[in-house]
Amino acid sequence: MGGFSAISVGNGWLIAALGISVVFFGLASLAFIITYFPRAIRWWNDHAEKPKYTIELLRSVFSKRETGTHISADTGEGHGPGGLDDVEEALRLLTTHMKEPFKLPRLIEVAEQRGLARVHSTINRLLVKGTMVGETDGLFHWAKGSEKEEKPHSERESGAGSKG
Amino acid sequence: MIPIDELKKYEILAELDPAELKFLSGMAEVTHAQEGEVLIQAGLPARTLYILQEGNLMVAFPDGRAITLHKPGGVVGWSALVSPTRYTASVTCLTDCTLITFPGSELLRLVQRNVVMGTKIMRNISKVLGRRLPFLQEEDRQRLREKR
Repeated sequence: MGGFSAISVGNGWLIAALGISVVFFGLASLAFIITYFPRAIRWWNDHAEKPKYTIELLRSVFSKRETGTHISADTGEGHGPGGLDDVEEALRLLTTHMKEPFKLPRLIEVAEQRGLARVHSTINRLLVKGTMVGETDGLFHWAKGSEKEEKPHSERESGAGSKG
Repeated sequence: MIPIDELKKYEILAELDPAELKFLSGMAEVTHAQEGEVLIQAGLPARTLYILQEGNLMVAFPDGRAITLHKPGGVVGWSALVSPTRYTASVTCLTDCTLITFPGSELLRLVQRNVVMGTKIMRNISKVLGRRLPFLQEEDRQRLREKR
């Protein structure tokens, strides 16, 4: 006896099918894990490494609901952990590494990488208040003495368009 | 479609007469964008001209410099009217924004057919862009000069 008969007698077809199934299942599992791996990493970066940030964010959200604080999307008020002052402080820290005058898109990029909440509206708020100033060369800097007192400025086009 | 009264409030369209504004109102639409949303990506084909109706924008140039627009009437996407119709800067919403949009190809066709109207629009765009001159590269300035 030999050839196909021998395979049939020795349950060769069944064993082959089982082998194919095992390999297929293994590859499918691997593909599934690889598909979800980036999401898991992202979740880890966002939450697992920053438990304090998440807790503070939740705390600030609930405390704001309790006190009924108005949250304005356009002004950037009512930010997550610590509110505007803390975000501003974090931005100031970031700009110390970047040196003044700094490039605004780069600041936004770095701030978002660090997990700061609502960077865009915070920066807008600082620009409108005059705490952060755009120069005609397209670079930005903090207003002198803005750490202590902030004078409100009327809305304007900053940077090259600051004249109108 | 945007009412003519709304359109004539904006600097770029200020000199147009009611008949010209009527043409534009037919092709204009209102769009909304969220804080952090990238409206325009530098280098991509310029298909839309935007007028800021409400909100705040950041115009970021490829070398990292930027300007911010806080007043209604701010214009972005002017490259849609000037060959080779590619955006020269990226535009991001600093807050939630409401914008009036004009399809670049239709607007360009209108400007080319109606010379008087085209001249008025291009003159106003040049005026607006004059404030951003430090950011324009020589080739952009040349493009604007040719168009005018």
